[in-house]
Amino acid sequence: MTRPDQATARRAVSLLGLYVLSVTVALVLSALLISITGGPWRGVLNALLDGAIRKPGRWGDTLAEATPLLIVSLGAIVSARAGLVNIGQEGQLAVGAATATYVATHLSGPLAIAGAVLAGFVGGALWAGIAALLKYWRKVPEVITTLLLVFIASQGTGYLLTRTFLLLDDDPNKPNRVQTSAQLDESTRIGYIRIFGNEFPWSVVAAVVLAIAVSVVLHRTTWGFRLTVLGRNARTAQRIGVPVVIAGATALALSGAFAGLAGAVMLTAGTANYRFTPGFANNVGWEGLLVALVARNRPLACIPIAFVFAALRTGSGFLAATGVERSIVDVVRSLLVLALLVPPAVAVMRQRRVTPPPAAAAADEPVVSVVVA
Amino acid sequence: MSHPDDALQGAGATAPAPAVQLSSITKRYGPVTACADVDLELVPGEIHGVLGENGAGKSTLMKILIGLVQPDEGTITVAGSETVIHDPQTAADLGVGMVHQHLSLVESLTVWENVLLGDHRRFDRRAARDQVAATAEHYGLAIDPDSQVSDLSAGLRQRVELIKCLRRDPRILILDEPTSVLTPAESEQLFATLRDVVAREQRAVALVSHKLAEVLHATDTVTIMRQGRVVERSRTSGATPSSLARAMVGREVSLRTSAAALGATDELGNPATTPVAARSFDDRPEVLRIDRARLVRGGVTVLDDLSIRVRAGEIVGVAGVEGNGQRELGDVLSSLVALDDGSVTVDGTVVRTGRAGAMARAGVAIIPEDRHDSGCVLTMSIADNLLLDRIDTVARGGLISRAEQRRVALELMREFEVQGAGPDSLFGSLSGGNQQRVVLAREMSSKPKVLIAAQPTRGLDVGAIEYMSGRLRAAAESGIAVLLVSTELEEILDLSDRIIVLTRGKVMGELQRSEATSELLGLLLGGIAAGTDSTGGAHDPS
Repeated sequence: MTRPDQATARRAVSLLGLYVLSVTVALVLSALLISITGGPWRGVLNALLDGAIRKPGRWGDTLAEATPLLIVSLGAIVSARAGLVNIGQEGQLAVGAATATYVATHLSGPLAIAGAVLAGFVGGALWAGIAALLKYWRKVPEVITTLLLVFIASQGTGYLLTRTFLLLDDDPNKPNRVQTSAQLDESTRIGYIRIFGNEFPWSVVAAVVLAIAVSVVLHRTTWGFRLTVLGRNARTAQRIGVPVVIAGATALALSGAFAGLAGAVMLTAGTANYRFTPGFANNVGWEGLLVALVARNRPLACIPIAFVFAALRTGSGFLAATGVERSIVDVVRSLLVLALLVPPAVAVMRQRRVTPPPAAAAADEPVVSVVVA
Repeated sequence: MSHPDDALQGAGATAPAPAVQLSSITKRYGPVTACADVDLELVPGEIHGVLGENGAGKSTLMKILIGLVQPDEGTITVAGSETVIHDPQTAADLGVGMVHQHLSLVESLTVWENVLLGDHRRFDRRAARDQVAATAEHYGLAIDPDSQVSDLSAGLRQRVELIKCLRRDPRILILDEPTSVLTPAESEQLFATLRDVVAREQRAVALVSHKLAEVLHATDTVTIMRQGRVVERSRTSGATPSSLARAMVGREVSLRTSAAALGATDELGNPATTPVAARSFDDRPEVLRIDRARLVRGGVTVLDDLSIRVRAGEIVGVAGVEGNGQRELGDVLSSLVALDDGSVTVDGTVVRTGRAGAMARAGVAIIPEDRHDSGCVLTMSIADNLLLDRIDTVARGGLISRAEQRRVALELMREFEVQGAGPDSLFGSLSGGNQQRVVLAREMSSKPKVLIAAQPTRGLDVGAIEYMSGRLRAAAESGIAVLLVSTELEEILDLSDRIIVLTRGKVMGELQRSEATSELLGLLLGGIAAGTDSTGGAHDPS
């Protein structure tokens, strides 16, 4: 068994090398870009690291930022496991946040926070459920529906913020209450953990537990096993008795539910000052999807990767504070995200080149193309 | 076994210069050597048989010749000058044409459009169409150039491929397993055409096959490959069936099953003409009962009023040329599609068709025609594949016990002799024969009442075929009702107690094994109904 182990080790080393290379290239390009536009280009990496972890109180912020990214990515993995491509997390997150806001601003007492989180979960599930319904009723590809539902979600939740009986803040004393919801009161806010001069919400711990739970369910339970069979060979799944429609729809709805949950967590942890506003999702849905992509659909790998993505978010905020133009900061951040996506993509391409497996080649069988999730 | 070069020594003096010469070709795929130091010469005016089991390296060699695969070592000499064949276009320019085993026609286009597909220059519609018609007529390949390919039978489709190839006037023509989609009569016709092409126009033809009988029958020279190497070369006229079989398999072949696998029942063993004592199953319960099944797909009736009954312990063979409803019958019995009409009854209970897992729950095990399509998950482990439908038996409270799963998997792998990898390796890393054993192990260990074996030996080598046939016989002996769906007549004749001939989704005839001969089956496959006149013992299914 030493040879496969060596091969695995070699692959891991080359993957690591690729990461170093691509991140370096992205940093050099970033510095170049900043210097061209007349900004302080020397300290890009330093500013990013300062803002993400080194300055006092920053890693707590990064942890808080990582939480919704992690939850979204876990949902993306659940649907990918069933062979479904949900790319509408940005919308599902917004809908989840909106339903959570409604419940949180209408309920009070100890159960309000649980109610809000549950509402976010259900909201996201229903939004993804529309895509599931269209897929299994009318065979509309879920890639398209989930994507288009993002735009409906963003306009729809925007409308909710124009009516006081829906989400608009009805406090007459507030001078500027255009398109924001009422602020959540203390009882519906998630508590904070304070440690080593940093603070982060309890939801960080909950999200890590959730990642472990998802990992166990997908890899160790009969439900996860059947979902995997469905994702990798739907006809075999049908033959062995996996209810294709029910299992697929459940996976898709669950994936939306996770995005909605992430929205509820953002709301109750105060990411946007405990208010729901237009643009609340703030790309967390898209980036959560990228986290799952970089983690190549392994739930536990999402934990560190979500942290890295969050670090880019908090770090680039800090970069803007050093005098780099905001739009250039966005480009820098995107370059670095791209740099993180290159190595796994190369790994997948390499894996494809290795196929056909020697057995298939030797048996003169038609080459079966294996889609690597 | 004679030395590979001996046999050709005598012929060498008089033979014309070779049209193409492959020297010391070697091709490796990772640790597997598909071709090792292979030499091959194709001579104008000759049909050259390339014979070997599945996996012997025949197809790889031909792919090298056509430019689809680049050799690691060795040279190719075409018409006296050494060349490198980068891609199929280069091969076409050099006059190398190939008819592939898997046909590649566009169904929605007409015959002549398909023939012209891939041409780069401008052409006049009418002239092009007439040219196609002329080519067809020149070679005696009767076909209507205006008919749509989707309406054609497999045999006619292959004819289109052949015309497509011949129209480019190739000096070297390669046919890869051309008879796998043909009825015996169609095969005969194909060989007559080839004979004509070779004799009149001095083309060089390579006929790639794993069937001994057709190589003996149709070729002038034969090269036999085993495990990537050329093990024998001789004039076909000087070869005996048993010497070829021995060279091909690498050991003495005596079992009837092997003869069936090699398509040489007439030469070896010969069950096709020897009546087998009929066993009666009339007193055994009817376990599988398909009643008036009808299935329409895309406007085409693929299963037409199909009724099949199988009793416990009986092996019923469903013979038919590919594409006559076998795949759909398999799909129905795998719960993949619902019948439009009719019913399936297993052990007295009607099973709802098309409902996920219903057939498996009712006790129908299946070795599917295409195991990659619905019999396994390539990217999951062997252990996972062994317990695909019964993962709950190694789980407690929904949580899978990996240790328990491994134990059960190892037990099954031992019992069914799955070799080449551990239970945690990916299923896709196994060889075809071992993959088939995993599928068999899973299906048999579910204690089925009915076993459907659809093309169970396709793509397997002789050893694996023997193993599979033995398992099927043992399954029947233990009281399982076995339905064997196969396009290989020899396999059907070898294993079945009763034979049903399927044509266009319909039962064309039904024979007891004792009444069946390969001639009679060949006639039925060609669409001549049984029980009409001189066929004697055949009777109508109803």
